[in-house]
Formats: sequence, C-alpha cells, structure tokens
Amino acid sequence: MSSSSTDTYVDVTMPQMGVSVAEGTVVEWKKQVGDWIEADEIIASISTDKIDTDVESPATGRVSEILVDVGDTVDVGTVMARIATDAKPGEAHRSENGVGTGEAAAALEAPGEAGELSGDTEAEHAGTAQKVQRQAGGRRYSPVVMRIAAEHGIDLSQVQGTGRGGRVSKKDVLAFLEQGPAQEPPMHIESPYKPDTPTPPRKPKPRLARPQEPAPAPAAGGQPLSRMRQAIGARMVESLQTAATCTTIAEADMTRIEAARKASGLSYLPYQARATVETLLEFPALNATLENDGTHTVYRDAVHLGIAVSLGEGGLIVPVIRDAQDLSVEGLAKRIKDIARRARSNELAPDEVRGGTFTITNPGGFGSIMATPVINLPQVAILDTEAVVKRPVVVTDEFGNDSIAIRSMTYLCMSWDHRALDGALAAQFLTALRKKLEAWPIN
Amino acid sequence: MPTLTYLQAISDAMREEMRADERVFLMGEDIGVFGGAFKVTDGFIDEFGPKRVMDTPLAESAIIGCAIGASVEGMRPIAEMQFSDFVSCGFDQLVNVAGKTYYRMGLSVNITVRLPSGGGFSGGPFHSQNPEAWFMHAPGLKIVAPSTAEDAKGLLISAVRDPNPVLFMEHKHLYRRVKGEVPGGTYETPFTARIAREGTDLTVITYGAMVHTALEATADLEGSVEVLDLRSLVPLDEEAILRSVRKTSKVVIVDEANQMCAAGAQVAALIAERAWEDLDGPVVRVATPDVPIPFSPPLEQAVLPQVDDVREACRELLEY
Repeated sequence: MSSSSTDTYVDVTMPQMGVSVAEGTVVEWKKQVGDWIEADEIIASISTDKIDTDVESPATGRVSEILVDVGDTVDVGTVMARIATDAKPGEAHRSENGVGTGEAAAALEAPGEAGELSGDTEAEHAGTAQKVQRQAGGRRYSPVVMRIAAEHGIDLSQVQGTGRGGRVSKKDVLAFLEQGPAQEPPMHIESPYKPDTPTPPRKPKPRLARPQEPAPAPAAGGQPLSRMRQAIGARMVESLQTAATCTTIAEADMTRIEAARKASGLSYLPYQARATVETLLEFPALNATLENDGTHTVYRDAVHLGIAVSLGEGGLIVPVIRDAQDLSVEGLAKRIKDIARRARSNELAPDEVRGGTFTITNPGGFGSIMATPVINLPQVAILDTEAVVKRPVVVTDEFGNDSIAIRSMTYLCMSWDHRALDGALAAQFLTALRKKLEAWPIN
Repeated sequence: MPTLTYLQAISDAMREEMRADERVFLMGEDIGVFGGAFKVTDGFIDEFGPKRVMDTPLAESAIIGCAIGASVEGMRPIAEMQFSDFVSCGFDQLVNVAGKTYYRMGLSVNITVRLPSGGGFSGGPFHSQNPEAWFMHAPGLKIVAPSTAEDAKGLLISAVRDPNPVLFMEHKHLYRRVKGEVPGGTYETPFTARIAREGTDLTVITYGAMVHTALEATADLEGSVEVLDLRSLVPLDEEAILRSVRKTSKVVIVDEANQMCAAGAQVAALIAERAWEDLDGPVVRVATPDVPIPFSPPLEQAVLPQVDDVREACRELLEY
C-alpha cells in the first residue's frame, strides 16, 4: 500500500469476526495519528452485533491516518486506519515537522492518499454495482418486482418486459412465475458448499467380495462423504436410534392460502410457518426439547423455528428463526428468504443453527406429497409440508349439502417423539393447524 | 327506495335527524325564510320553526362559536357555511376551540359544519375552493366528503351523531347532478372508504366530485381500474388504501383541491411509507395547480382536473 514513492503504508481493516458478522462499530481508538505502534498491539476496540473485541495492528509503524470515527459503523474489510511502516520509532511524524497539522497535513503530505482512498470506495461501489447489474441485468425494477423476484428467487434478466421501454412490470414477473414453476422453490438449489477436499482415496472395499474380479481402479471407486454429509448421517441415525419416532399425517385444504398467496406473491411456506407458530403456542408440548439425559424443556412463550434448507447435493442445514412468534407472514417470508440465502452462501453463524424448538422441512417443492421426516433432536417434533395439489374433494356447505369441488390440498406430515408425547396430542395439533390454514383470512 | 339528488339527500338527512332528535338544530346565513343559498333548507322553517332553523348574521366565527357553546350545553347543532370558502372567518373557532376543547377540558364538541365546496361552475376564487386540507392539519376535527346521494345522507347523520366536531364537505357541483336511491328514515354511514368500482391493474384514489370524474375517465380504459372513494379524510381509511394498492400496485391520486399538501399528498405519503414493496410504478397525482380558481370558464376547466386529465394519467401509468 504505497501512497508515495517513499512511504509504505499498511491498512488496518475492519476484521471479519466470524462468518455472519458483516459490520463493526469503532468503540475506541487506542492510538492516535502520529503514535508509534507495534505489530499485534491493540489499535482499536470494536463492537459487532455478536461480540466486542480489540483490533490488533497488522504491522509495526506509525499511525498515519484514522479514517473511521468512534461510533461509526463500517462494513467488514473497510480500511479503518493506515500505518506508515517506513517510519522509525522516535522519529517525529511528518505532521509534527511544522508542515501542517492533523488531517490537512496528512492530505498534503500524501497526495496519493486521497486518491487511493477514493479508489477503495470506488472499487467497493463497483462491486455493489456489479452485483446489482448481475442481478438486474442492467435494467431497473420497481419495488414490487424486486420483492417478488427476491421471494421466488427469480433471475429478472430472464423475464420478458412488456412495460414502457421493455420495463418488467409486476404482471410480467407474475406471468413468468406462473409459466415457470421450476423457478418456484428458492430453497432447493445447487449447493454452494464445496465438498471438503477428499482425503487420499481409501482402498475401495466392495461390499460383496468378488475375488474373481480385479479391484476397481481408484478413479472409478467411491469418494468419502463430505464432512457435512457425515455429520447429517450421524445425527439422523442418532435420532432414529434415540427417539421413539412416530409420524402422523393430516390433510389440509389450502385453497384459502392459495388465494392469499396469490395476492401477496409469497410462497406457501411463510403461511404454513405462521400458522404452525400460532398452533405451537397453543400446544407447547410440541414446542419442546428432550435431552438425552431426560431433561424435558417446554417452551410456552417463544417459538424458535428451524427451517430445513436444502443445499442440494451438499446436504441440508437447519437455520433457526428465533422468536418466530413475533413475526408476521411477511416477516417470516423475509427471514426464511434471508436464512436460505445465507445458508447457501455459507454465511450462517453457529448461533443461527442452534437452539431450535421445532422444525419445518419443506420438500414439497420437488413434488412429493408425503414423507416421514426424521426428528431434529433434541426437539420433539418436526413438520413436513408437502406439495399442494388440486384434488376433487367433498365439500359441505352451510346447509349440510355435499358436493365435489376442486380444491388445493396438501398433507401435513409430522414426526414426533413418543417419549415426549402421545399420538392424540399430535393429531390435535395437526387438526388445529389444519383449521388455521383452512380459515385463513383473505382480504 | 326513493331516488334523491345529492342535495335532497342532504336535506333529507337533516330533516329526518331533526325529527328523530330534538337536540338537533340548524344555524346559518339565510337558511330560514330564504331556505339557504342552495335551497338545502327550503321549507325547514315551516316544519321546525325559527328556533331550530336560525338565521344568523354574516359572521362565521360567531356561527361556529355559538354552535360550540350549544353543543357543550348538550345540543347537536348543524352549522352551514354558505360557501366553504367563508369558513376561513371561523377558522379560529374551529381549529383552536372546536378541535381542542375535548383535549383541554374533556368536553365533547358535538357540532357538524356543512361546507358547500368545490368548483366547476365559474364561481371564481371565493366560491370554488376545497379547503378540507386546511383542517386535516388541525388535530381534533373529523372531515368527511361524500360523493353519492346515499353516502351524503348517511355520512351527514353519522356526523351529527359523532361526538366530535365534523366538517361535512358537500360538493356544490354534485348537488343536482348526482342522483341515487336513498334509504328512508335515518341510517349511519361509517367514516371509511368505499370501493366505487373494483379493479385489478390500477387504483384511483379520490373523494367527492372527483370520484365521478375518475369513474368516467377509467370506464373504457384498457386495463381494470379500481376507484377508491375515501369518503372520510379524517379519519383516513389507511387499511382500505393499502389493501387496494397491494392488489393493483399502481396508484393515481386525484384531488380537486390545490395540489400542495392536499388530502392526496397524505395518501401518497402513506403509500410510500407502507406499501413501498408493492409498488410497480410511481405514485401519480392529479390535482389543481397551486393557483386561485379562475372565473373564466375555459380557464377554470384548464386548472380543475378533468376527465381527460385523469384518463391520460391512468393510461400512462397502466402502460408504464
């Protein structure tokens, strides 16, 4: 980082404090401009939404510039200060040589500096612009179009615009959504998690001895499972071996949700999640954990809702929406979208995948209509929401007359731990959930 | 149900309410023997007598002030401003006394002030204004503005029965142009918005005479246009506005009032704040420019929002 031919500078940047931290706030500068600092000496205290910590100097030298004021919050990676590494201890800072003082002097002394700083900013902006560009294909979109696209994971550059000047209107994006249901499930996309670097291939062990055949060449042989797959496997086996897993299935008429969903542009999941959260508050026995040591905890006031996010081949992760009871359908939709996105880009913090009290898994986007999910221990139940399909069903009007109608139906499949509760409660829970979904208010 | 004009519906509301409740009485300039400048109270003095149909001096401050005092004593006065423009002379009584008495002293000011408003008949700058926004800005006053005969009667009865001071904006241009079936007896219309026509592609939000302009302007457009008649400006039916915007994602707001800080400005702000993620285009306003209303008929037509202005704004936004 040289800003002139004679001086060498090292940047002090806002450090990355764990995967989920995107920004930090400067609490205190321990050194001021002109102070000498040793490498690894603390230069500043910062605070993030997770932790408060100190920032160590990356180099030995003299603090030449402080670019972020105390109290300001900046993105991870932002240059907070610069250290002149050519300076010598005891040597006066240039600003002390009577040329000028403070920032003005720094600017005068290092004419390249300002340029460099703006260079950084521009680079950052260019990055953002590129992101937007990539996402938007160089076109501009109205808020509602952006929202629907975000909720459904639509690449707007694929949408044909029929508005003025080819603008993509709400109608266009809804039409696109209608015609391309393959775009629908945003949570099931190819995994961004790369399998761990394979350990040197073990000698393949054919399950059945076939002495006549030569051992297959390693290239054609198996690869070890990724660490994530191994972890999932261990937890699933543990669950099935530990819990007394039963599955109860109820059928729900989703026609009203379908109507609400069409009006709002959201997927089914946030509605199902909201209804589930409300029902859990009525049936706290299902909003509970049962530890191996027999500790049984029932959560009566808060639902920390796990949402299983498929990472495609890579596996599965269950981020937790804490205090889901405080969120509306729209709020849940936003949070689900957010955690799914961050799960896929490996940005979840460890805390965000712990502490769930109930889990929803939602493979229906792939078209399945029924499943028996595996309980996410130590929770005592998991709800599996499946595809919504139109079926002829018997409906009864207010006078008791029956008729056959086409309704949007789905199965609500819930696995629960018979150690913690009994089937009657599971059935009551699902019935209450079904009633909520079937009576959903439509504006 | 009898078919009444907007004006007859207003008369009917007062007549029925006066028959039903002897606390109700009228005050205004020339409303007695003469029957009012627009003949809204024609014949009232014969039925109810001069004590309940009081001719007053040309002093709006006195009219509103007396009404406030009477209401504090338990009466339910209905005060007529001969033209809504003249209410400026009663501004202090309305804004500082009527609007704040409950807040200051816990006394209900149960008055109704009728304000014949609006232009379109070459009335010039003193007889054509839409002053509702002056009072929207003043806490403590309710403001309603019917567009149909049925709502004119129902809203006026609701206004008389409401324990707060209510300004009843009756549009002069609608007096004899708008007719409709009006239920007999007394009934209340809530201070909420009404969907004048359902639609899916764009919402026109307006009130008063402009509801008819909007309906006519959008009747034969390509695209399904919803027309939302606010009916009440204070309280503003925010949920109805947001519901419609969330459905259509495009909004044209029409005010006959001068554009600056008109009722529609508040609606636009609400939408920007609470329906941002549902918008598929700019919030468009059609309103009277910030000029006095001219006498000259062609000039007046040029400043007041016309059917073509609204149609063009809607067409533009539908194509956006």
